[in-house]
Amino acid sequence: MVATSHDVMLDIELYQPTDEANALALAASLGKDGWLLGGGQDTYGWVKDRNKSATAMIELTQVDAWKGIKETSDGIEIGAVTTLTEISKNPLVKEKFALLAKAAGVVASPQIRNVGTLAGNLAQDARCWYYRRGLDCYRAGGNICYADSPEGLNREHAIFGASRCVAVSPSDTAPALVALDATMVISSAKGQRLVSAQDFFVGPDVNITSMTALEEGEILTAVRLPNEWANAEYYFEKVADRNVWDFALVSISAAMKVSNGVIEDSRIACGAVECVPRRLDDVENALRGQQRSEQLAERVASIASQGAEPLNYNHFKIPLIENLVKRAVRG
Amino acid sequence: MAYMHIGKDFVPPDVNGKVTGRIKYAEDYTREGMVYARLLTSPIPHARVVNIDASEALAMDGVFGLLTADDVYPDGEPQSTGLKVLTNEPTLVGEPILALAAIDEKTAETAISKISVTFERLPFVLDPLDSLAEGGPDAYNGGNTYVFRQGFASEKWSADQVASFRAGNEPTAEPQQTFAYGDLDAALAESAFVYESTFTTAGYPHQSMEPRSAMAYWENGKLYLHGTSQSLSALADGMASIVGVPQEDFVFINEATGGGFGQRARANSIPSMAIPAKMSQKINRPVMMRVTRDEETAIGGARQGFQGWIKCGFKADGTMAAADLYIISDNGGKGGGGDAYSAADCISILYQTEAVRFRGTSIGSNTGHRGAQRGPGQNQIAAIIAPILDKAAEELGIDRLKIRQINTPQNGDVGGASRTPFTSAYMPEALKMGAEQFNLEERMARSRKRNGSKVTGIGIGQGYHNAGRSGMDGIVRLTADGRLKVHNGVGNLGTYSYASTSRAAAEVLQMPWERVDIVTGRTDRHLPITSPQDGSNSIFTNTRTNYGAAMDLLGKMKEIAAMELGGDAADYDFGDERVFKAAAPSEGMTFAEIAQKGIALGGKFTGEADLPEELNDFTKISVSRLAGDALMGIYHDAPHNNNPPGFTVTFTEIEMDVETGKYDIVEMVTIGDCGTVVHPQGLKNQLVGGAVWGIGLTGYERHLYDPQNGLPASTGYWQSKIPTMMDTPAKIKTGWVDLPDPENPVGARGIGEPAMGAVAASLASAISDSLEGHLFNSAPVTADMIINHVAGVTSEAVPLAQNNFRG
Amino acid sequence: MGEIVRYKRDVWGEEVILGVSWDLLWVVAVAVLVLLAAHAIVMAVLANKKMDKPSGEGKRVVRHEAIDRWFHWLMALSIFALILTGIAPIVGLRFAWLNWHWMAGLLLSFITLVHIVRSLFWQDFKSMILGPRDFAEPFDSTRLPGKYSFEQKGMHWAVTVVVMTVIATGLLMFLQIDSPFWERTNSMPESQLGLVFLLHGLSTLALVALASTHIYFAIRPEKLFYTRSMFKGWISEDEMKANHDPNLWSPKQAD
Repeated sequence: MVATSHDVMLDIELYQPTDEANALALAASLGKDGWLLGGGQDTYGWVKDRNKSATAMIELTQVDAWKGIKETSDGIEIGAVTTLTEISKNPLVKEKFALLAKAAGVVASPQIRNVGTLAGNLAQDARCWYYRRGLDCYRAGGNICYADSPEGLNREHAIFGASRCVAVSPSDTAPALVALDATMVISSAKGQRLVSAQDFFVGPDVNITSMTALEEGEILTAVRLPNEWANAEYYFEKVADRNVWDFALVSISAAMKVSNGVIEDSRIACGAVECVPRRLDDVENALRGQQRSEQLAERVASIASQGAEPLNYNHFKIPLIENLVKRAVRG
Repeated sequence: MAYMHIGKDFVPPDVNGKVTGRIKYAEDYTREGMVYARLLTSPIPHARVVNIDASEALAMDGVFGLLTADDVYPDGEPQSTGLKVLTNEPTLVGEPILALAAIDEKTAETAISKISVTFERLPFVLDPLDSLAEGGPDAYNGGNTYVFRQGFASEKWSADQVASFRAGNEPTAEPQQTFAYGDLDAALAESAFVYESTFTTAGYPHQSMEPRSAMAYWENGKLYLHGTSQSLSALADGMASIVGVPQEDFVFINEATGGGFGQRARANSIPSMAIPAKMSQKINRPVMMRVTRDEETAIGGARQGFQGWIKCGFKADGTMAAADLYIISDNGGKGGGGDAYSAADCISILYQTEAVRFRGTSIGSNTGHRGAQRGPGQNQIAAIIAPILDKAAEELGIDRLKIRQINTPQNGDVGGASRTPFTSAYMPEALKMGAEQFNLEERMARSRKRNGSKVTGIGIGQGYHNAGRSGMDGIVRLTADGRLKVHNGVGNLGTYSYASTSRAAAEVLQMPWERVDIVTGRTDRHLPITSPQDGSNSIFTNTRTNYGAAMDLLGKMKEIAAMELGGDAADYDFGDERVFKAAAPSEGMTFAEIAQKGIALGGKFTGEADLPEELNDFTKISVSRLAGDALMGIYHDAPHNNNPPGFTVTFTEIEMDVETGKYDIVEMVTIGDCGTVVHPQGLKNQLVGGAVWGIGLTGYERHLYDPQNGLPASTGYWQSKIPTMMDTPAKIKTGWVDLPDPENPVGARGIGEPAMGAVAASLASAISDSLEGHLFNSAPVTADMIINHVAGVTSEAVPLAQNNFRG
Repeated sequence: MGEIVRYKRDVWGEEVILGVSWDLLWVVAVAVLVLLAAHAIVMAVLANKKMDKPSGEGKRVVRHEAIDRWFHWLMALSIFALILTGIAPIVGLRFAWLNWHWMAGLLLSFITLVHIVRSLFWQDFKSMILGPRDFAEPFDSTRLPGKYSFEQKGMHWAVTVVVMTVIATGLLMFLQIDSPFWERTNSMPESQLGLVFLLHGLSTLALVALASTHIYFAIRPEKLFYTRSMFKGWISEDEMKANHDPNLWSPKQAD
């Protein structure tokens, strides 16, 4: 019997490794039973509602090697369990990658940013309310989507790239990292692999039960930002119902190399329109070599929404993504 | 008039506890041997419980017992709407079916997951219009509406009638309820501008921060219930009968409450507190029942949503000649309130409309429990009517402030369905004061001006609620040490009205505040009955009772002085905690001496004899328990007749970004007309708190249920989109007229509810202004609606949809 | 061994069927491997006493018209595509499989429909009917079949049942996802949806078993001439006479 009232966790074994090797060994040995815990802002809702359960948790925030921000030969490297507050206030990030500082600075609320980590923000699970309510939908391993139907409450859901599941990528920092062409450092007991930010996020067509490329036993341990896009012209905007403590209705992260008003190159990604951060390749192509102007903004805006397949209540995302692209191009 | 206390700020005694976190809410209490109850609630929007198999759960270690509707209602559940303590006939998802008590919450939850409840699924409906349509499902087992004293009924319209209404036309079916005055047809005929449209407003939860948790235990045959309420005496009075315990054996303990907003005023809106009481009785242990946010959303009450049609006629001079309303109000899963009637009543009062017709029908839906919420009816309609007034002003070429001044209520006016005279009304003064503080003229020059993607919108809003009652009791006592004890049953809702109303008694006796003790917090401190603390009435109602009781005490004090020192009571004056001969101030007695003498005299002086005949039974019990140990002032307040209104006016400037549908509130000025101000800081809190609520009503808050399955989609603070501090102005400017009301001894009237309505109205007005006067005829108006409007996108939302997204 | 059926909670918390347990995939795989290996061993033992293999030379008769061969291979292609795209994600190979899956499903459905129509009106439908005589065939070495042997007919009808089930349930499932032809709804009750998934899963497992068996026999040395005929259309007269009763099957001469 499902009782709709919960608000009480089951017993969980808590592991608090302080060094990398230990944490990776735990992740390997616990496998899918080892729930990775960052700031807990995604986790606690699940386990208190008993909609997902964990027998063991590996708290990652005590591993110093995975915290902090440092300069590298080719940019900067951010430890994955660095808090969003720290990222948003870090001078190095603000100086070179202000796009990320801004994105990290508008996640949820100050309280959540104070404990929430970059890895947690990137790897957080879908926020579709049906899924979060604990329903056995596709994403939960079931055989149905409650949101994608003529009557489903799908105002916040995807307008692009849905495949059975119509949930969107909820992260504010994810599109910023795609725009900055970041590289994700994924560690496991077997070693390390590097995945581009764009490939880190996985849509439901490929894996309907996970939003990232992380496999069992793997931990996102760092994010590298290459100098290639440092100090580009950035535009970030998050439109949400509320100005704090909310997920984006649509967000845009744009990095542009502009010289004498000409957009030489750009990387633009949107959040909350697809299950993954949506890279606007066609817009980037249309912008390349063009003089920045209102006319250009108008022209490329409609490219951004091409192929959109709105659900019943999210048609507004089409004009919204177009408007945000215009604003990014206008600068 | 120079007052010692009235109109002065002070620190209410519970403030320190709230700031330091030391004050106790129901959840903070514990008792030796206390166990924990948890609820199993209905996962289905409309069902009948066929069987409950709890054998596996009850066999678990640490499980003490189960409470079901059969335990609570051995003779069967009452066949009416209204929340039940527990039910076998749930009509909304989240309604409590049973409670289980265990050694801790974890065990209780695990045990509950092992209980198998077999439900018979019944047809459900989430939009009242779907239920009204011929063949549509009914939310309740006996129909889709409940007629007071008559029982369940099924209201049905033809499919064409419903479709026509959804398409924007005047409903043609017979309404359940009506009122009318004036010649509507003639008024419309005289009108130079007539506006007609359908509209919707959302019903959404009260969202009190403190969930309705409660803890109960029995001791020596008495029930002690730690609970939550916005009233103390009034709620205790009703709660005893819900639990089934004599009033004299019931102690209700409630020092502080984390929000009520209408759904904790009366016992029948919070019957879940009977669960730990009943469970404790059954298993003979103290029981704590903590209520989750999810549960609070389901049973914590929600405003009624409207699906309405309105037609307003304005004469060429701007006079609102006619208002014709037809409203279907959403009664939710457990029955609702009288919001629709109040909405029409409010228009009649705020705009002194010459002819009004109201028609209304209340229909159930299998959604959250409905009941009075801050300005029930008045505040929903405030957000709808303000842009209509602006439209009329535009069409008739009248200034937007002017049209409100033309129609304003003022002293000597009557208003509403009952055409009741006001006790006083200073709306014209409030409009003037607000316009000045807002710099209306200067700001109005920016109206609709575009700068990049941003457009300025200026809004004006007005709010109203009846704000005062009478017929309650007061008890004050002067103890042998000369301290004044004000027994106050108002309850600590967070408005500090329990303290500010006590100031009236201190004022009468000119007692220094530090010599006054407010006796409240639990009913075994013996409190007088008060009106439930709803309807913005407390300040009016309870300054009357406390003033009266203090006057009774003062009379007795003078009488004692005369007995001791000779002469007539009328020859005595008082001051500096002494009663003395007016002619010879040195001859007198201290308050303490008088109290001591009074105690020695006993009888009527100490509440042992000659009580006011009309005293309520609840108060009589308290007086009988207090009698004898202090000099007592007792008062029964005779009912008054006129309408003490609470009025507010708000001016708002927004900067609308037409590319994102988001706006900044650049300036907000809100002015209250609530008679003499008793507690300025308290009033300011009410105005600002009301403003946040008003912003929520017009701009944010939603109430979503999936039409496929009746599941609530907006549980909790994130999904329901209550505005945050970043969505509200950093500074909301407040002000007040501060002119006395003649029917209150200290000149005060209430303000709580209208504080919200005017803001809701002014924001709706400003949004409309920023979009070239476009009328959404909806509350809320959310970012997606604005984006769609600007982009010319037609929404796929069902017209007039309730408990869903809107177009 | 795991369970056969997986369950889930429906939207109101009641237990309903979710689908087949994919643990069965391994059971089927192992069972098929064991059975086919056993068959291969027995055949290898028997092979010593086997009579001469008929010659593939000489006159040829038509066994499969070109159109039927096309049909067969398209069907094989679609079934393999379906099995591959359906099963790969279950065993952990991640790719965007769903569109390929339903496109292959549509192809299979279309071919099957064409085949049914053709077999009813243009082919010798009777040659595939399983009669009482066929069931005696395995027990009487003197009896030779008509165009199709008992085993072949049995395989055909088993595949027919399984493919029809997989198509019927597959089409119902196709209706449950968005497609270029319609927008999905949630009109099918979850309990029925679960049954459809279960039947689709069970028929998929059966199809895996049947396909494996079919391939195995297709590459058995003594049956290779049949496989050849599926490429080239003919078998030799020798092969025909050794395996079929000319009274029951009188094919045309091949060119």
